[in-house]
Amino acid sequence: MTGAGEARLLLLGWNFRTAALSVRERVAFSAEEVPEVLDRIRGAGLVSEGVIVSTCNRSEIYGVSNGAGTNEELTRLISEWRGLDVREAAAGSFHREGAEAARHLFRVAAGLDSMALGESEVLGQVRTALRLAREAGATRSVLHRMFESAVAAGKRVRTETEIARHPLSIPSIGFELATKVFGEMAERSILVLGAGKTGTMFAEQARAAGVGEVRIANRSRERAEELANRIGGRAVEWNRLARELPEADVVVGTTSSPEPVVRRRDVEAAMRERRGRPMFFLDLAMPRDFEAGVGDIYNVYAYGLDDLKEVAEENRVRRSREVPRAEAILEEDLARFLAWFGNLAVVPTLNDLQARLAALRDAELTRVAPGEREKFRAFADAIAGKLLHEPLRRLKAEPDASRKLDRVEAVRHLFDLDQ
Amino acid sequence: MALHLLGWLAVALYLGAEALAIASLVAPRGTLGKLTPLLVAVGLALHFGDLMHRARALVSVPYRTLGGSVSLFGWMLGIAFLVLLARHRERAIGPFLIPFVVLTTAAGLLLPDSGAAPAQGAQGSLFALHVTLAILAYAAFTFSFVLAILYLVQSRQLRRRRTGILFARLPALEVIGRMNRTSVSVGLAALTLSLALGLVRAEQVWSTLHDPKIAWALLTLVIYGFLLWMDRRGWEGPRVALLSILGFGVMLFSYTIVNMYFSREHSFR
Repeated sequence: MTGAGEARLLLLGWNFRTAALSVRERVAFSAEEVPEVLDRIRGAGLVSEGVIVSTCNRSEIYGVSNGAGTNEELTRLISEWRGLDVREAAAGSFHREGAEAARHLFRVAAGLDSMALGESEVLGQVRTALRLAREAGATRSVLHRMFESAVAAGKRVRTETEIARHPLSIPSIGFELATKVFGEMAERSILVLGAGKTGTMFAEQARAAGVGEVRIANRSRERAEELANRIGGRAVEWNRLARELPEADVVVGTTSSPEPVVRRRDVEAAMRERRGRPMFFLDLAMPRDFEAGVGDIYNVYAYGLDDLKEVAEENRVRRSREVPRAEAILEEDLARFLAWFGNLAVVPTLNDLQARLAALRDAELTRVAPGEREKFRAFADAIAGKLLHEPLRRLKAEPDASRKLDRVEAVRHLFDLDQ
Repeated sequence: MALHLLGWLAVALYLGAEALAIASLVAPRGTLGKLTPLLVAVGLALHFGDLMHRARALVSVPYRTLGGSVSLFGWMLGIAFLVLLARHRERAIGPFLIPFVVLTTAAGLLLPDSGAAPAQGAQGSLFALHVTLAILAYAAFTFSFVLAILYLVQSRQLRRRRTGILFARLPALEVIGRMNRTSVSVGLAALTLSLALGLVRAEQVWSTLHDPKIAWALLTLVIYGFLLWMDRRGWEGPRVALLSILGFGVMLFSYTIVNMYFSREHSFR
């Protein structure tokens, strides 16, 4: 797939593994900048198609080059434009070509290249990258197909393996545990102590997960009300905390109080009022918000920050065990894309086209008397040859690699050669 | 007697259902697990054919032989399983419940099937209903026992922060508790009715009520009744599960030891 006139996939990237933050922030492209980058690299004749995936952890330029453009030249162009030292930019970068470039994109879309293995956000980012490039008029059939395939493969990996199943973040783990006690959370009530960063995060997540009622208690009432108004919850009086407990199925502690804000005897009283219905305590505060021994009360489930971190670590291991299965799925989809891409070259398409015409001709010849067949065969071949001569000459002579790929794709489509 | 061809076919189908249920527990996204209830249902139909065959031979509900009664028990377990599945749509419990259907059905086919002479008064539709309901109650209590064990296992996993595959697949405590409630309610209703019918019948034909089986049935009723009362009051949790296990122990004792050694009227011999 190399050589002048033949299309080649390129990838130039910087990510959290290869480049320092100081380099990464210089080569990070905002959605507004993307069209300009794409114009520059295409204008310089380095690539004929381009897509840029730029997130906080990575900045990757995918392109289709017709042989003139190389990753070195791309690096030079970007570093000059961004005022970076070329050697510095090159040192933190990585290059892929051909199938390896496509494979990298598939891995990124599946979350295998992410800091949090299997995370799903990146799938949307890949999709956005394709949209931005398409809007900038920078994609044609190859990168379009490559990105769509990668997104589809990424979705497949997440539904067919467990890689995205075991939660990694502390609030989601706390949430999963609570769900295993209560089942559906729609009828449940959750009480968040503290309206700081953690409290806000948890309250938001609870709302998003469809918890029936979210109550917020904070030493300063205004902050509690502000948060409650924003997420559609209810602020409660800090001084009446013990009175609020019985109604709460889940209590989350996130305050910075130097001593426990919920005493064991408060919980015992609450449990009596609840007539033993289970309660769930999640202590995300440091130092702890719940007095020691709360978890020993009958039907009370209590977890601290360390417990959740332990589960997070186990879940990380569980996710990483799914990597081989995820890779097998990616390879399957990748092989399909590469086969399509390989067929886009002119020669295999010509062969396929000739085979198709020969089959048509032979089918027609069966209707001709046996003695006449040789004559008709020669006649048919002459017509077909004359008819196809000019289109094929133009196809071969097309200098722009991407336009050529588009045309080959059109021929394959019109003559139904991908059957 | 017959080779129980239908009965063994049913066992094969139950085994197939168990295999599918396990497969869907391991890989829950597959669609094969949806076939589990279908296999159980077809198995139940064949199993019913086998039971009818026995019934014709005995001219009564097949209660009188150990084999027949255990096989009927297996059939009721299958029915109870489908009821639980239809009511709670929680397929993850299949792998833990179906083995009881398989084992009891197979045991029913292997255990001796020679019928004793019917005890006095042991015929008629009233009596048939009495036996059938009692066995349905036993089936429901058996599942309550299994669900109680699952509850305790899941609760222990939660306390010890064991978040492995079993943790992920087993339903939430609340859901297991609800399923247990269904089982106990069905069992309690069936046992109460069965006891009432039995008492009516006994008074007609024996004129005395000194069968120890009656006392044991009453004890079973009291335990499960207390359990439901506790549950309704909101005292759910591990204690209700422990009570389910106790109730099952009493029921098992009454079904086996009391039948074999203490009760002349409920003996299989």
